[in-house]
Amino acid sequence: MKILVAVDQNPYSAHAVVEVARLAANTWANVSLLGVQSKNAPAQAAADGSVSRALFEYRQRFLAQFDGKDCPYAQAALDPALVEVAKKVYEARPPSPAARKNLTLRLRIGSLGREILSEAREAQSDLVVLGCDPANGCGWSGGAGVPLKVANEAPCSVLVAKKKKAVKRIICCLDQDRVSQPSLEMINQMVTLHDGAQLVIIGIGGHEQLDAGVEKKMDRILRYYHARGIDPWIEMVDADALDAFVARESRWGMMAFWMGPQSILEKVFPRRKVNKLIKGGDASVLILR
Amino acid sequence: MDDGGGIMGTREENRMMDMLISLKADLASSIAFRYACRLADLAEIHLQTIYVEEVEKEGYPPGSGWVRSTWETGLIETAQREIAQLINTEKTHCPVLDEPIVRIGEREEELLKEVKREAYDVFLEGVLSSSDERLFYQKMRSKLYRQLACPIILVKNLVNPARVALVLAEHKDVKPLVNTFANLFEKSKLSVDLVYVKANRNVPAENQKIPAGTAGPEWEDARHTLDDARERLAFHGWTPQESWILQERPQAIGEMLAPYGLVGSRLPRAVHKSNMVMDLLSRVSSATLLARN
Repeated sequence: MKILVAVDQNPYSAHAVVEVARLAANTWANVSLLGVQSKNAPAQAAADGSVSRALFEYRQRFLAQFDGKDCPYAQAALDPALVEVAKKVYEARPPSPAARKNLTLRLRIGSLGREILSEAREAQSDLVVLGCDPANGCGWSGGAGVPLKVANEAPCSVLVAKKKKAVKRIICCLDQDRVSQPSLEMINQMVTLHDGAQLVIIGIGGHEQLDAGVEKKMDRILRYYHARGIDPWIEMVDADALDAFVARESRWGMMAFWMGPQSILEKVFPRRKVNKLIKGGDASVLILR
Repeated sequence: MDDGGGIMGTREENRMMDMLISLKADLASSIAFRYACRLADLAEIHLQTIYVEEVEKEGYPPGSGWVRSTWETGLIETAQREIAQLINTEKTHCPVLDEPIVRIGEREEELLKEVKREAYDVFLEGVLSSSDERLFYQKMRSKLYRQLACPIILVKNLVNPARVALVLAEHKDVKPLVNTFANLFEKSKLSVDLVYVKANRNVPAENQKIPAGTAGPEWEDARHTLDDARERLAFHGWTPQESWILQERPQAIGEMLAPYGLVGSRLPRAVHKSNMVMDLLSRVSSATLLARN
């Protein structure tokens, strides 16, 4: 698994790094911490400017989540300057000896959203994580719409992590026609990450019942999780009532949506509503692709 | 103490609980059946499944004799195949099961007849948890629920049934609810808590969860009810692990009961939306044990 954590220098990014460290402790993922520096900043700042320094601090914060002997990432100090590895792309020199898993520090020069998306594509990331603060509409300084742009355009799954009280329930609106194994795995990881959180799988129906095909799919999902020792709840929601349901249930801390191409879910809960949830709600939002 | 057990009566000592499980070929039944299997791991239960093939009146063939008999046999065989598929998937995780009973006719009528014929100790079925609580009320007001003589377990989700909460809203709930629970689960590995609820749609949002032992004099009715319930449980050899008083909105109480795998309550004779306990039960996500008066 490859996780890309896009960071800026705000406290929500520190929170996102810690969340990813806890996730990585379970998955032993290859993790890349990415900062983006404005193209207007002096060239030298890329190697050792404030964004670069923040990346090194986040690395320390990430590693602090591991017990020394169980850590699959190299813990040795790194050369404190980034080196240019491609045009307008900088990276910390990898530690020696190499560790079992990679924890990479990367910096790109350009506009925030575009560079994060380019990195996700080039690195073939499975998940992009970025933090934001709902108190300011989940915008980033220097690029107000960054989390929304990444959530909408990334080629992979995206977690917009908001710092709030503990996640008590993970509410999953899956596309009932196209649930993929990786998305089930991703949710599995979220349940592990938020120990004790109740997983709730939403079945979207009409006229107080679910279609027989949807029921079969839900049954398979249930069995998948039972085999992993997780007892999800199933909740049936009429398509007409999904809006109100999401607004009410987002208080539990995390909402997950399948948003693949031609997703049926998009018809009943279009992207603009997911965007509203990202911008305005307290809940972290996981977009599954 | 009168240990009559009300309508249900007391099971003969050392006899397994006889449970009738109503199945259909759907998700709610699959969940309910697996829940029953988990319950049977924790208590001595004989599971009997039943499937009713419903046929519209106009679907019946004219006449009688071998034409009708052949038609019925065909229907039963199809139904048996459908339900066997569901049961066989679970057989390895479930205690030994008898062959399912298959009936043709109107579902509620056939279930009532079967319960009356065999005098089951408890009836269990599933319903999908829904954001629309009308489904729950439809069940509660159904002819089946009004006329069944035995207690009912309604399963919404597959959870671990090991922790039970007995919900008491007034003193008259104590006898039917505690007796039902104690008789059904006489020999089991369940643990039980007592919860006195004062559901109120107008209370402020902060939750009030008071350990019964620390409740002040304003909670005298609650303490009296909980003391009697404890005494009655003790008579049956049970000690509740915890006793709580909850004063909250029904939705919040429903959520506070989420850690329990089975929530018991007395089923009132008439189910109104204004009944706060029914309101909170409609919001319970696990399974509900409904005791008769």
